[in-house]
Amino acid sequence: MNYDFSEKEFSFFIELHQLLAKYAEGKKLDDCDLAGSENNLRQATAMLAGTPYLKLAIEPVDGFNGLLTLTGAWEVLASISPSLYISVETSARIFGRIISAWGDDVQKKKWLPEILSGKVIGAVGLSEESLNIDNAPLATLGVLNGDKVEISGRKQYVVNGPMADWFAVVGNMGDKPAIFMVEKGNPGLIIGARSATIGYGGAAISPLELKNCVIPAANVLFPADAKSMTATLRLWENQILMGASLGLMKTAFESARTYAKTHKTGGKPIIAFQEIGFKLSEMLTLFQTSQLFAYRTAWTSEKDPKEAESLTLCAKVFCTESAEQVACEAMKILGGAGYLSGNAVEQAFRCAKYGQIAGTSTEIARVKIGDTALGLRN
Amino acid sequence: MDFAFTKEQLMFKKEIIRFAKKEIVPRVQEHDLHKQFDFESFRKLGEFGILGLHFPEELGGGGADVITTVMAGEALGEAGVDGGLTLAYGAHTFLCSDTIYSHGTPEQRKKYIPKLASGEWIGCMGLTEPNAGSDVASMTTTAEKKGDKYVLNGSKIFITNGPIADVAVVYAKTQPEKKHAGISAFIVEKDTPGYKSGANLIKMGVSTSQTSELFFNNCEIPASHLLGKEGDGFNMSLQTVEWDRSALLAPFVGAATFMLTRCVEYAKTREQFGRTIGQFQAVKRKIANIRIFGEAARNLVYRIAWCKDQKKPLNHLEAAVAKLFVGDWSLGPSNDAVVLHGGYGYCHEYDMERIFRDSRLAPIGGGTSDIQKMIISKLI
Repeated sequence: MNYDFSEKEFSFFIELHQLLAKYAEGKKLDDCDLAGSENNLRQATAMLAGTPYLKLAIEPVDGFNGLLTLTGAWEVLASISPSLYISVETSARIFGRIISAWGDDVQKKKWLPEILSGKVIGAVGLSEESLNIDNAPLATLGVLNGDKVEISGRKQYVVNGPMADWFAVVGNMGDKPAIFMVEKGNPGLIIGARSATIGYGGAAISPLELKNCVIPAANVLFPADAKSMTATLRLWENQILMGASLGLMKTAFESARTYAKTHKTGGKPIIAFQEIGFKLSEMLTLFQTSQLFAYRTAWTSEKDPKEAESLTLCAKVFCTESAEQVACEAMKILGGAGYLSGNAVEQAFRCAKYGQIAGTSTEIARVKIGDTALGLRN
Repeated sequence: MDFAFTKEQLMFKKEIIRFAKKEIVPRVQEHDLHKQFDFESFRKLGEFGILGLHFPEELGGGGADVITTVMAGEALGEAGVDGGLTLAYGAHTFLCSDTIYSHGTPEQRKKYIPKLASGEWIGCMGLTEPNAGSDVASMTTTAEKKGDKYVLNGSKIFITNGPIADVAVVYAKTQPEKKHAGISAFIVEKDTPGYKSGANLIKMGVSTSQTSELFFNNCEIPASHLLGKEGDGFNMSLQTVEWDRSALLAPFVGAATFMLTRCVEYAKTREQFGRTIGQFQAVKRKIANIRIFGEAARNLVYRIAWCKDQKKPLNHLEAAVAKLFVGDWSLGPSNDAVVLHGGYGYCHEYDMERIFRDSRLAPIGGGTSDIQKMIISKLI
């Protein structure tokens, strides 16, 4: 048993923080137009490619512990910029892991180096109008025609949609689950307008439509079965949302603590008042509990993937709900200053809600956790 | 990072659960109902080796590490052992025995630890006073040195195992003007003239543990019963915090697993509106909340234990976070467990109301949640 990161991991987190903090100086990473978002994402991924960050949990990195190390690193990036975090992770981790897990050797060679070097931005089309994706079959279909595949379907809430070079579109081909790799500019790929969202203002999210979109048959990946494919994709999403929550809590807590130590009322810093000090104590309790929960979940994912499914849902619910609470309390500590647009706490407050909605929603997650306990789900 | 328990630890945990279910749990309800201490169960804990698990074998202990010791506490809770007995075990082993073991002379260790580890003697710890709870420095119990004796005067309150203890570790001021630095610790045996315990206090939960006042009226003890040096008492009491935030919290984590198991069993068999209630989303939600709490709390408790095993100095911030979380966040799940059982949850027979009552101690005992918040807010 060991409840600490190694010195090498700690050093990596510090170096990563320094690198990203320097990059973020003077930039509006979480509130920018599409061109700005794309520019930031391309610059940041290229920069991260010079560190082990993009490879973690996709390729072995000497001295590091895969997803567990990555979870520590997630907190760093998400605390610097939640928007950059969600964009980078969608590209490198979800898109990257799709190739890594389900691509054949040729496909891996084609896309993985490009993604891990930051040269290419990926997006993933999973969500469809049917809310309960676990029970309803995906409506996006590919039809084989010689050495080509013609795809039709609609996807919503596609992170990186307006700026990706490649899209991994999840659907079915015949009676098999399939993931269609579609390049930007491919005829029949219609990228919708960037959606306005309450948080993650530096990320670009849009719907997609595939209308008689023809791609080479060699660009189709075939996961083993539909159920495990969607479960795995949701698992990856949930992990990323946990990481986002840690970063949001770090930002919200540290901002509120700094404010409470420097803002004075009645001649003393407001942290001296129990109502504020106690609030910060509760926030830190949620933050530290979330950290350990996320780390153990990441460790379990690599040691016991079966056990990790339900545990990840537990941790996802806890971390994302904690993030919302911590951000909410932080805003109260900042008072009027917290309500002004553009400050880190207000931004964390707006972003935090996404964690409970995206991936497996906290409501569905609780149902699944209950089902697992009741033996209604394997 | 590596969160794995060893195979031996996991096997040991299973053994404890099996032992506790067979030897202790069948008597829990009756003793809780009558608010009686279960001497037989306590003796069996001693026979099994739990009371002295972390002490060296030559003193009658099991030589276990902290993680294994904490796991034993979790296992007792998971088996369904009541919070009263686990509290009695905690006060006995960690607040009394461990203080003697950690700060006692070889003679003191040899005299007391084997008897305490076996359960032949029961121990308690007297720190809190009517007007000195978390504000330890305000204690008024004094110990005046007279020749080769100390004379104790004062009283203690809310002392777990007070009415049944054979030996007590008592904190008193040897130099009242020095506040914290004037506090010393002493070993006081049951039949010492001038020492007596009060009647068992009736509590809302942890009912099988016996709690009382302790009175010292010109109570003379040999000077050799001083633990460590004069003035070391406050630091000794602080050192028990490591155990308090790990081993004493562990039964609450185990109780969450027990609640989860019982709620699942009930939800799978109880039928309403033509189907088992486990099929309703509101019931699944409660079950999920109980599991989420247990999983989250477990990490905090074992982290404190792991740090102690690594001989790292106690991180007071992490310790307070663990106590605050287990204390305050356990209330929701224990409430959920009662409500999930409906009318049965309100009845003694179904155990949930007992756990609900027992869990109310978590935000109070060993430093209230507000005290933990004071600590955290000062440290940040």
